[in-house]
Amino acid sequence: MTELLAKEAQDEKWGMVIDLDICSGCQACVTACSMENNIPFVGEDEMAYGRGMQWMRIRRYWEGEYPDVMPDHQPMLCQQCGSAPCEPVCPVFATLHSEVEKINLQVYNRCIGTRYCAINCPYQARTFNWFDYEIPAPMNSYLNPDVTVRRRGVMEKCTFCVQRIVKGRQQASAEGREMEDGDVTPACAQACPTDAITFGNLSDPESRVSKMVRSDRAYKELENLGTEPRVTYLKGGKSYGG
Amino acid sequence: MKSSIPLWQRSGFRIVGALVLLILLGGAVGGIYFTQIPPEQPIPFPHNFHIGVGAQCSYCHTGTSTGPSAGLPTTDKCWGCHQQIEPRNDNLKLVASYGSEGKQIPWVPVAIQPDFVVFSHQPHINAELTCETCHGDLTQMTVAEPQKGQNMGWCLDCHQKMSTPEEFVLLSDCATCHY
Repeated sequence: MTELLAKEAQDEKWGMVIDLDICSGCQACVTACSMENNIPFVGEDEMAYGRGMQWMRIRRYWEGEYPDVMPDHQPMLCQQCGSAPCEPVCPVFATLHSEVEKINLQVYNRCIGTRYCAINCPYQARTFNWFDYEIPAPMNSYLNPDVTVRRRGVMEKCTFCVQRIVKGRQQASAEGREMEDGDVTPACAQACPTDAITFGNLSDPESRVSKMVRSDRAYKELENLGTEPRVTYLKGGKSYGG
Repeated sequence: MKSSIPLWQRSGFRIVGALVLLILLGGAVGGIYFTQIPPEQPIPFPHNFHIGVGAQCSYCHTGTSTGPSAGLPTTDKCWGCHQQIEPRNDNLKLVASYGSEGKQIPWVPVAIQPDFVVFSHQPHINAELTCETCHGDLTQMTVAEPQKGQNMGWCLDCHQKMSTPEEFVLLSDCATCHY
């Protein structure tokens, strides 16, 4: 049993916890993600066609019966499944599991745009570059040099800001130390005004995410599918916070 | 009238086929050739001379040990030494004109990777790699020349040679260079 737990801990690494009880649905994470990862803004028309490109989106629900209706928000992003449905369907291994980071990778230069992975993703977390979107003149200076600017015809999705993970590891190794909790913060967690998003190492039982995952309020989205998501949501009975 | 000669035996078809093949081959040879010639620089910078007078690579390319990009020197860096040197020839006069006007010299980067490859100098320098491992022997070059065959196989070959199998798991991970 302990062996099994140890193996599971080894198989899990980077994880995210999103506290839905303090998420206000303000979309700051969505904006920060778009800026960090060079995601093009497709415009209203393309959005209406369902070609919107957001690696992270806020799903809004209405809870309760009129007139006591409360909005409810759930940030939805790639769950970095341990057993990912997107991976086995890719004919060219453009989406695959990283042995080191234990997350799903999307290798843009391998992708041939079959879009099987997006169809097989139960979270609808993948977006496709239907066109080469123009980035008007002053905005191209905002592009993040650490992230590839994708071309038309490739699939993309949340990477858990893998560029920040790599940078954090390089920084730690240059300083001659191990990586610590809080060394890596993805753009969404950094931008969240209520600190609803926490990111860290799940294989370290003392990290902030590991402690939050053990909370009573924790659940995983579509857990019954057996996808082993790395994103945990916290949701209680709305008995606090207003 | 219907011809009895099959299509692939007709001379017209064969000539067209040969021409198409020649054009494709010529394009490929030209493409390879043009990617291997050094780009034209505003000043034909003699690397060999500067190394000869004892300048370290990191004196001008300062970013190697701290960040992803080695960086190209600013005019101030050139002018720091060159304002004490008499402009004996045209190139030195060009340096003097850039330096005295304080204009940036528009150096053209030579060792570049495609957009989908993320390379950082820092871990390579920390692993005590020398510059000539990847950039060639610059004591023999005037302007920097692009090196041949710097593709992914070349990266992985070196990563495998320089690491233990456990380290190679990280060094061959897609996310190490592609994101």
